[in-house]
Amino acid sequence: MDKLNIALNEDKTAFAPRETIHGTVQWNLTTNPRHLELSLFWYTAGKGTRDVGIVQTLRFDEPGAYGSKDFSFTLPDSPYSFSGKLISLIWALELTNSPGSETIRREITLSPTGQEIVLGTHP
Amino acid sequence: MKARDNPFAVERVQAIRYRPLKTTFDEILARLHELNYRAAITGPEGSGKTTLLEDLGRAFRTKGIKPNLVFVNDTSRFDSPTCRRLLASLSRDQIALLDGADLIRRSDWSLLKRHTITHAYGLIITSHKRGLLPTLIECSTSPALLKNIVAALQPQSSLLTPEFLDSLYKRHQGNLRACLRELYDLYAQSDPL
Repeated sequence: MDKLNIALNEDKTAFAPRETIHGTVQWNLTTNPRHLELSLFWYTAGKGTRDVGIVQTLRFDEPGAYGSKDFSFTLPDSPYSFSGKLISLIWALELTNSPGSETIRREITLSPTGQEIVLGTHP
Repeated sequence: MKARDNPFAVERVQAIRYRPLKTTFDEILARLHELNYRAAITGPEGSGKTTLLEDLGRAFRTKGIKPNLVFVNDTSRFDSPTCRRLLASLSRDQIALLDGADLIRRSDWSLLKRHTITHAYGLIITSHKRGLLPTLIECSTSPALLKNIVAALQPQSSLLTPEFLDSLYKRHQGNLRACLRELYDLYAQSDPL
């Protein structure tokens, strides 16, 4: 196992608006962290400046050097995951430890169709 | 190609840090110490001035000196109220890092320059022109540097031949930012989404 891990129930990575994500975070570290933080957020990638929106953060205080914890997040209505030539909007879960520099990110898709909206594919 | 897959997307380009030519980062830090942490990074557009300034900010942070980084450009102006706010926020454990010093008004610059002598750990600026502060380094680029950066971004294409990159470099007169933006566009258009 990696030092940090985010497991999603049934390995599900595509979600509809307002759906709830269920999963488990796991950690196995050499020292005791003060806390772990799990964030649900979106960010943009592409030609322009990156934009980020943090939707919710869970903090696990004094979690010990190893262990696991279940979590759940309810997704908002929007923004949907999308991609065009100039910009993509990507949803992700990210787990970090503090103090420390370990980070693990798990991308997910938020879309009513279950797939990333691809811009410019329809006339 | 989707923006998220473009090898020249901003976040990937920004992950490439300053690559000194004919010197090392440690030598730059030593020179900065000699200049009492009051110095200018000069050079033309797209030569890495801002990247180096950010890298110096990180280096100071690891030494326990807080960087106070201010960007001045066409969309982020540095007017007199902004200048006063910056001056009020500075303390001896902070180093002021000003990107685009040649864009601020002369009177604000004089005030900032004077104030930071006693109220900050130091002042490092970027500027296209020399003379505002002693020059720490004059940033420059080369076709080889462009090729190194492109190689680090690992684009999967046979399009980017050395000849193509040489001509791109020449067309943008050594402005690496402009070169990388053109490569982004090239990749964005090259494949269907």
